[in-house]
Amino acid sequence: MNFGFGAWLFAISVGASALGGALGMASGIFIVPILIMFGGVGIHVAVAASLVSVIACSCASSAAFLRNGLTNTRVAIVLETATTLGALTGVLLAGVFPVSLLFLLFAVVLLLSAQQMMARRREPVAALDEAGAKSWATALRLHSSYPDRVLGREVPYLVRRVPLGLALMYGAGLISALLGIGSGVLKIPAMDTALRLPIKVSSATSNFMIGVTAAASAAAYFARGDIDPTIAGPVALGSVVGAVLGARLLMVVSGEKLRMLFVVVLVALAAQMLLSAFGVHLGGHAS
Amino acid sequence: MTVNVARQPALERLLAYVLHGGTWLATCIIALGLALPLFGSRGVGLATTGEEIVTAGIAFFILLPVLRVMLMLVMFVREGDYRFGAIATLVLAIIVLGAALGVRTAGGLPG
Repeated sequence: MNFGFGAWLFAISVGASALGGALGMASGIFIVPILIMFGGVGIHVAVAASLVSVIACSCASSAAFLRNGLTNTRVAIVLETATTLGALTGVLLAGVFPVSLLFLLFAVVLLLSAQQMMARRREPVAALDEAGAKSWATALRLHSSYPDRVLGREVPYLVRRVPLGLALMYGAGLISALLGIGSGVLKIPAMDTALRLPIKVSSATSNFMIGVTAAASAAAYFARGDIDPTIAGPVALGSVVGAVLGARLLMVVSGEKLRMLFVVVLVALAAQMLLSAFGVHLGGHAS
Repeated sequence: MTVNVARQPALERLLAYVLHGGTWLATCIIALGLALPLFGSRGVGLATTGEEIVTAGIAFFILLPVLRVMLMLVMFVREGDYRFGAIATLVLAIIVLGAALGVRTAGGLPG
């Protein structure tokens, strides 16, 4: 094992995960492009390694959300049927998808993330009117409540449009397995627009689900022998350390500055991925 | 109408405990595997190289969310919620199917 390269992988993972964690994003969206462009790692190896770090970050941060009672575990397990099925599809497609198309898809996801980062998420209209008695959410008893520290009481909420949520989650699982990311880009609209979950519940539940989604694809990649421990090991370790640091960072740095830095980095990575998609390489390692 | 039916504090506490502990355990295994070569060690127990220990840590990380779904399955069934037991079983089945497909196509992807 090359110690220098391992240390470099560890360091960039700490940075990516600390920044990502501070704004509630998985680190994969930064790690995959960096591994490819600056580490000279093949896209499939980078995706597989990143998925391990996505699982690590999800597991590391899920515990706190669960303890605070923000995670809706019933909604999570229902949606996980769709995300894992999507992940399975993604693993099968990864073999036949042309690499240039993967780069293009990644660039699109980076740009969409930048756009989402600019547009602030608004609390979905939480009208507590009657959900249809025949709705899936009612039948599956998904409606719940969460403790709000500011209000000092339990805030009840209803869950909407589960079939639409399932469809979007299938897409999220597919993108996650193909690109090695947590796929918040699709999960956030699914949670906010389709299911109409309160933001805190949606963040906690989405984070909880990301681990199982990534585990479904990572298990397949692992069984296939696509996970290179010399790359995935330092990346996973760095991501956990970064996730812990990220939570602290959030308290020191202004959220607005961090947000702008994020947008710039995302757009820069998107431009680089677009160039790669069309066969232009600026980085030193790319071949 | 009462909407507070989805909260399951006992399950949530158990899952938090398992995920937290599991994350630390897997992280430590990977750290150990990465650190061993630095001290020129030849490995511990069954694992003969640092790389094998790192692989074990990675495998543990992948299994952690699967273990979490298994725990949910057990809790749902114990509460007599067979519909959610079936949903959890379906999620597990999809993950196992993925791993099985992975084994069959081993050695497939280049770089």
